[in-house]
Amino acid sequence: MTMMPQGPGAGVARTGGGGGTSSLYDVLELILDRGLVIDVFVRVSLVGIELLKIDARIVVASVDTYLRFAEACNRLDLEAGRRAPAQLPDLVDNMMESGSRGKTKGALSGAVEAVTDSLSGGAKGKAAKDEEQAEEEYAEEEAPRRRRPARRPVRRERE
Amino acid sequence: MPVYVYAVTLGDHPCRLDGVSGVGAGSAPLRTVPAGDLKAVVSDVHEEVGPRRRDLVAHQAVQDRLLEDGTPLPLQFGYTAPDDDAVRQVLKEQADLYLGALERVRGCVEYNVKASWDEEHILRRILEESPSARSLNEQIRAGTDDPRLALELGQYVADEVQQRHSDAAAGIIDTLVPLAREHAVHAPTGEDFLNLSLLVARGPDGEGALQVAHADLVADGETGVEIRVAGPLPPYSFVG
Repeated sequence: MTMMPQGPGAGVARTGGGGGTSSLYDVLELILDRGLVIDVFVRVSLVGIELLKIDARIVVASVDTYLRFAEACNRLDLEAGRRAPAQLPDLVDNMMESGSRGKTKGALSGAVEAVTDSLSGGAKGKAAKDEEQAEEEYAEEEAPRRRRPARRPVRRERE
Repeated sequence: MPVYVYAVTLGDHPCRLDGVSGVGAGSAPLRTVPAGDLKAVVSDVHEEVGPRRRDLVAHQAVQDRLLEDGTPLPLQFGYTAPDDDAVRQVLKEQADLYLGALERVRGCVEYNVKASWDEEHILRRILEESPSARSLNEQIRAGTDDPRLALELGQYVADEVQQRHSDAAAGIIDTLVPLAREHAVHAPTGEDFLNLSLLVARGPDGEGALQVAHADLVADGETGVEIRVAGPLPPYSFVG
């Protein structure tokens, strides 16, 4: 299995942080949920893997969602105000640089690492390795998302 | 002895599996169980198999190897049969079904396309394009006491995000689906707004065209949109 290169025009650079394993995250739900099912055979327990589906970030119409977006917008403009607001192209470039690091490990991959690491009892994944301590604490429960507004919707933690 | 079952292939598939390890800590050797015009790729199970990284990788590695010599029917992760006889029996009973499914995917592989939109980029774009959203945002930042403004802004932005996600997904689907023999739209997970599987013919007309189209989408795409294509994969989404 290989990943297609994104090409030089990629809007968000995909750095090689995950290496070969990052492609496993992208196909994990296919391996687990698709494929041929043979009913008369026994399926091994997949306890723990349900965590994968927690953090689907579909936009849900709810007060929590609205408040989260409003806060994100407030923060966004505050950040823009501190930089030179008139120079939008520069600003966007800067955002891309700082943003691309955050993109390399999405919510799903974070959850997968948490799941697979906890199940295998193996070494800590990059979720624990390369980011702030605070994220480690959340890794087992839900996928961390960088730069999310401080007030998180209650909905996510309940589902 | 129970066996873990990876895939079903045509009887004439070479199944070159040397050097590939099976699931489980012992990495039992892979072998085939033939029956009629079909065979199953299996390995003995000496211990518990689970959704560990090691076992998931092993499952996928077997598929990758099989794919090199002809498209297999990949099993969903985690199925074990009580013994070889049980495998043979299923292959015989379901022979027509499996042969039909193999014919359907012959010469094809699956590519999975996922897309996400960096939240800061999409929010910035929405604020840039909507004076009313900008105005609401300014009022809130200025310290209004009216909590309805945040809800109003949030609702507007949420609707816009949803609309833009759905438009972007439709654009990608419209571009890529004509290159595929079949397609399946799955529910996106994580931060993604699109999760699309394509059954694509091997070679320049299918895979090659997809690669070009993906590069074009990336080049022409909105800033902050990331489109990831994984493949070639066994046809997980097209075995039914």
